[in-house]
Amino acid sequence: MLNISLLSVGCTIFNLLLLFFVAKKFLFGRVDAILVKRMEEVDQATSEADEAERQALSTKKEYEDKIASIDVEKENILADIKKQGYEEYERIIGDAKKKGEQIITEARHNAEVENERAKEVYAAQLTDMVIDAASKIAATKHSSEDDKKLYDKFIIEAGVNNE
Amino acid sequence: MNLTAIGAAIAAFTGIGAGIGIGLATAKATDAVARQPEADGKIMKLLLLGCALAEATAIYGFVVAIMIILFS
Amino acid sequence: MKELLNELLKEDKAFIHIPYGNGLFDIYKSVVITWIVIGILFLLILFLTRDFKVHNISKRQAAVESFVMWIRGVTGGMLGDEGVRYQDYMAVVLIFIAASNMVGLFGVTPPTMDLTVTAGLSLMSIILVEGAGLRKKGLGKWFKGFAEPMPVIAPMNILELAIRPLSLCMRLFGNILGATVIMELIKHVVPIIFPALLSVYFDIFDGAIQAYVFVFLTSLYIKEAVE
Repeated sequence: MLNISLLSVGCTIFNLLLLFFVAKKFLFGRVDAILVKRMEEVDQATSEADEAERQALSTKKEYEDKIASIDVEKENILADIKKQGYEEYERIIGDAKKKGEQIITEARHNAEVENERAKEVYAAQLTDMVIDAASKIAATKHSSEDDKKLYDKFIIEAGVNNE
Repeated sequence: MNLTAIGAAIAAFTGIGAGIGIGLATAKATDAVARQPEADGKIMKLLLLGCALAEATAIYGFVVAIMIILFS
Repeated sequence: MKELLNELLKEDKAFIHIPYGNGLFDIYKSVVITWIVIGILFLLILFLTRDFKVHNISKRQAAVESFVMWIRGVTGGMLGDEGVRYQDYMAVVLIFIAASNMVGLFGVTPPTMDLTVTAGLSLMSIILVEGAGLRKKGLGKWFKGFAEPMPVIAPMNILELAIRPLSLCMRLFGNILGATVIMELIKHVVPIIFPALLSVYFDIFDGAIQAYVFVFLTSLYIKEAVE
């Protein structure tokens, strides 16, 4: 029961080493290969995800910038439009005022012209009256002093009438 | 009846040592678990290992006893 | 009963007689059984590790992967950080001894019940232990290691070179022999049901524990050697 065979011991050692190498090559080797591959894939996926996140962030920032600039632009455009509107308003108002003034001056002018005409008519009537008076005076034959007095009186009367 | 049976019986006395050893180990392990119930698994592992090592002495005695019976 | 033990323990172990060296070069039956065990393990490994994939792994692959991780964790934990490179060898030894011990379930005598197999295993263990120490420390420091902690106990340290493998070898051999003998005796006394219950303890539990103890002690020696 206790005897030992050297060849059997050697065979056992050989068996053990053979099993070890087979296990190392197939069991541990294959599992390790899979684990390494999986690790690489995970690393790659992680880096890709990082890259994508960075890109998304940069795009987001870009858009935010754009939106901010759009606000500013909007303000500018609104201000421009308001300014234009005011200018237009001013211009229209100005035009209207000018036109109104023109109309008023025209009206005044017309009134003056009318006045003039009326004055002329009065003057013509006055002349007629003067001529009439003169003929009357000539018919009556007064002194020159009386004539003068008569003229003055007449003219004053005419002026009062005319006013 | 010859002396071989007595020899085998004496060889079997190794069981006393193994029994005392395993008993002590188990007592201490119980103590340890009572003190630190969270270290349950580790203590169990160590206890099993210690028991296996202590039991080996009893096995030696048993093997010696068998050999005495067989080869006398 | 004595006839039973005689039949079990004193049978002719030789499978092939080599007519040279007075039986010193015989090939024993236990070696043949280890060949069979190793062949089955080969086939199992080749079958289990067939077409591994990175994605969509099958249940078989997941089981193999988690088993490899587990057994590496067990042996790596015993070896410590310094000796973690030997974890695959220790895992293989663990699997081999456990498989050899459990052969008794199928009614075959376990190969570890033979001194030659355990001697070969423990010889490999001590070679690995000293080789690991030599590799880590270099030749000069390795020789100096025998005179530590003091030169007086150098003979003890040298003696340990022989005692360690002898104790490993004898522990495994004795435990499996004891378990097998007890099982045979029980089978002789109560032939049904009872042996099946006890074989759960003696073949499975004891076999696994003894394999674990063997690997644990070897790992302890390696850890001590590379520190």
